[in-house]
Amino acid sequence: MIEAINEQLLRAIGVGVALVDVTTGAVRFANDTFSEWFGADRGDGAVIVGTLDVMAALEKLRTEGRHTVEVTFKSGRRSMTVAIEFNRALEEQNLAVLVCQNISRIKELESMIDSYAMMVERNTHEIRREKEQVEKLLLNLMPRSAYEEFRSFGAVVPRTFDSVSVISVDFQGFADLLAANDPASVVADLNDIFTAFDRIGQQFGCERIRTMGDSYIAVAGVPDPVGDHAAAIAGTAVRFLRFIRRRNETHQMKWPIRIGIASGSVIGSVVGVQKYVYDVFGPAVTTANKVRRSAETMTVATDLSTAALLGEGFAVIDKGDGLRILQSATE
Amino acid sequence: MSETLYQHYGGFGTVSRIVIRLYDHILDDNDIGPFFEDVDMPRLIDHQTKFVASLMGGPAAFTDAHLRGAHRGLGIHNSHFDRLKELVAQTLEESGIAPDHVAELLEGIEARRQVLVEAEDA
Repeated sequence: MIEAINEQLLRAIGVGVALVDVTTGAVRFANDTFSEWFGADRGDGAVIVGTLDVMAALEKLRTEGRHTVEVTFKSGRRSMTVAIEFNRALEEQNLAVLVCQNISRIKELESMIDSYAMMVERNTHEIRREKEQVEKLLLNLMPRSAYEEFRSFGAVVPRTFDSVSVISVDFQGFADLLAANDPASVVADLNDIFTAFDRIGQQFGCERIRTMGDSYIAVAGVPDPVGDHAAAIAGTAVRFLRFIRRRNETHQMKWPIRIGIASGSVIGSVVGVQKYVYDVFGPAVTTANKVRRSAETMTVATDLSTAALLGEGFAVIDKGDGLRILQSATE
Repeated sequence: MSETLYQHYGGFGTVSRIVIRLYDHILDDNDIGPFFEDVDMPRLIDHQTKFVASLMGGPAAFTDAHLRGAHRGLGIHNSHFDRLKELVAQTLEESGIAPDHVAELLEGIEARRQVLVEAEDA
């Protein structure tokens, strides 16, 4: 009676169970679940378990004791994976017990986690790339040290730089230039010129601070100190002038540049809350603008502040009223 | 930025339950199940995970070109598409998605009808 109930139970459970002859691989007993999955033949033929080589598995069982394998096969439209555990039954009966668990759901969940992990990885990669782009954009608006301060604290404390040099550039009669030419080509030219200025300035360790219309301001010594900032700004100035001279020779639109340079102190800070920009103010900026306004076209004007700091390599011509014209010593 | 349904329903935890339910419903369905008969399980799961995550505004984006490529030549009819929508609706309801959100998600699927359906019903 008890035996009959046991067999009934064994047949009905969701785990596939079979008893297999270790030598021949023939099935001696299979419960309903096992038969449903593998259609086991209980005759003398060896059991067919999907693509699994049962005889090889039984050989492993003989040599290693316990043995577990996974078999994947189609059940209707479904892909089914079953984990089969081979256990030795009673030694004298030469029987193996096959206990089969349906692990299809686990496999499906594993696939889903793989899929999700890949999505998340790709997203993380995209977010990192976007962050880098934003950072690049912000680094156009402010020096790196100011950006790092801004990122950490949400604000940049205004800082005084005692000894820096400033270059201020504009073009005489810019309004006339705009009126006489197609505005788009004027702007394209200006873009071209300012891009070249950025490149020249970089070579001397200068940082562009801002442009407004035709005016361009750069500084040497902010935020990182530049040893010989006066020579850096003077070198930048004479190369700006040389670049414009050459450009004017070959281009239709002529740009009458005026350059002013000055040395002294400035204050650097991020200005604005919603729309912020890094800016510098102070005596050196004011003076550079002032001497630039006094400069004749196609010249670099300076006052004593920078002239006094310059060593060899630059010629300074006294124009009276504290104004001096700067030239490269080789010109 | 407003909250997506993906975030609203607790992210991947809900999506994973929806994917598994939908996988079962689709394979068991005699109208559209045959389309998936020869598709490997990992590929089908991957596709459906991305489909559900993308539908709910999660971390996946299916472009129309990608969808068209994946379904080209399968001979999907309007009736198949309608059946898929029914199964998705059933799955979403079973997964506790609110009726107005179900309607919103189904609209998202409907918008892609022309991308998937390439043969008219006979």
